[in-house]
Amino acid sequence: MITIKRLKIVAITMILGFFASVVGVKAQDTAEGEQIFKNNCSTCHAVTDEVVVGPGLKGISQRRPIDWIVKWVHNPQAVIASGDKYAVDLYNKYNKAQMTAYPGYSEAQIKSVIAYIDAQAVAPVAVAGAAPVAGAAAPAEGASNGGMMQYILIALLGVMVLVLIALLSIVSSLTKLASVSPESAEAQKIPLLQRIAENGKKLASNSAFKTGAALLITLLIGKATLDSAYGIGMHQGYAPEQPIQFSHKLHAGQYEINCNYCHTGVYKGKGANIPSANICMNCHNAIKRESPEIQKIYRSLEKDEPIQWVRVHNLPDLAYFNHAQHTNVGGLECTNCHGEIAKMEVVQQRSSLTMGWCIDCHRKTEVNAKGNAYYDKLVELHNTEHKGNMKVQDIGGLECSKCHY
Amino acid sequence: MLSGVVALAMTSCKDKHNDQGTEFAPNMYHSVGYEPLSQSEGDTNHINPYGMNMRLPVKGTVPRKYYGQEAKSDSIDGTLLETELTARTIKSGDMASSESLLTNPFEPTEANLEAGKLQYERFCQHCHGETGKGDGLVAKMYKGVPIYSSDALKNLNDGHIYHTITHGKGRMWAHGSQISASDRWKIVLYVHQLQQAP
Repeated sequence: MITIKRLKIVAITMILGFFASVVGVKAQDTAEGEQIFKNNCSTCHAVTDEVVVGPGLKGISQRRPIDWIVKWVHNPQAVIASGDKYAVDLYNKYNKAQMTAYPGYSEAQIKSVIAYIDAQAVAPVAVAGAAPVAGAAAPAEGASNGGMMQYILIALLGVMVLVLIALLSIVSSLTKLASVSPESAEAQKIPLLQRIAENGKKLASNSAFKTGAALLITLLIGKATLDSAYGIGMHQGYAPEQPIQFSHKLHAGQYEINCNYCHTGVYKGKGANIPSANICMNCHNAIKRESPEIQKIYRSLEKDEPIQWVRVHNLPDLAYFNHAQHTNVGGLECTNCHGEIAKMEVVQQRSSLTMGWCIDCHRKTEVNAKGNAYYDKLVELHNTEHKGNMKVQDIGGLECSKCHY
Repeated sequence: MLSGVVALAMTSCKDKHNDQGTEFAPNMYHSVGYEPLSQSEGDTNHINPYGMNMRLPVKGTVPRKYYGQEAKSDSIDGTLLETELTARTIKSGDMASSESLLTNPFEPTEANLEAGKLQYERFCQHCHGETGKGDGLVAKMYKGVPIYSSDALKNLNDGHIYHTITHGKGRMWAHGSQISASDRWKIVLYVHQLQQAP
């Protein structure tokens, strides 16, 4: 009875307080409450009914007596440990998540927070929901160089075929004129198919035509052979299907998670590393738990089985490559070699990874020597003998044994 | 029509995203030694489960980086090792010990703070936000990311923050496997700066 009476008083004072705040007399209280709430509570609690991490706090002053709230805010763990039924139920209902204790707040401060919450409930200011994250625009990926080349070839082939048809028709009409002119009427009687066959035979015996056709076929075969020979060991464009449909466009693009967060070795070691499942779980213990793709991670963890990601970039064993040297020392961006990963739904090998491609960059790129004492003497030596900045090729970047040993 | 057929034949061959293409002399391409992430036919590891080449570090061991080093306090490596040896004996649930036993081996110099900021951007920012207000892009999905300058957090000490990064706390999971000890301590320096941000 006493508590109800007290509650009523609290409620009345609160409502009064709210009205007062509107007039500006007690604005101090709700203002302080608002500040405390936004800095400390808002990450887990909403002023509405909405559950963020903990329960929505709308109507908390009616749900619980003030001295319970104060005790709870000061030390939630102790309240749960004391066996308070409401507290234990609360703890179990919200996934056994422990609320942070705020022992430093006075009763007056806690009351000001409640005043703020109640004020929000009475006159709900349109709480601007987080604007939906606009999906990163996906510009159509331009055809790669190889694709362009193919279209040009196809166009050329088409032109060649047209020229061939034109030549054939000229040849046939000329032979017709030459052979048929005296008895054209007789010639007209010969059926069309037979005439075509005859013309074809004549054409086949024409040596100029034979040479031309042979040359064309040889060129085409030669081109195809060269193309496939250059393609040996080249995996450019390789975009294998992965065991889990992980999207770099979503993680690295839309959510801007740094590459290093998952590829832990990229600034420290030879390999960039493929993340182990515990790194996925840092977010996916809470996010998108129902997705069948995410369930695959859980299954792999339960069975203690590694996720068998398919390797995309396979540099042959005959060439040595070190990520740290390029990213950490050289200061290169990941996109420099891997392309715009943040726009790729499925990762694709964008660079050719051929020796010519490596060498090309070593010829052009200046050594990132600034602030790196290791290069001081080399730069000094370079400047006495050469003009221009020191490039990778100037310090042995083209030596065979730099990468092949 | 003929050119159409040719075009069709060429494009139909283009759909080979799952195909690596021809390889020449594969024995020069595939590593004989066990590479940490190698994954090619013929060199499957028969000793480890699932043909993996990588193993977890043996329990109770310290990375070889520290091999032959003594826990002296006159060099940063020595201090780091000393702190690390203490930190590794603290259990993941024992926040109180971390708070009382661990102090940052790094001084808050400009260079160290800069390095801490860099690591913060790589490992923390997508949740905790640029200024530690818990407003990173992932936080909107993950929910419950706290504000460093809030009254409960603004005075947390070195050991507490280090323990949180290493073993996790509340909704945050352990990040010790991703970030090296020295980088974690540098992040602690930078987080101290964000705690004091208005």
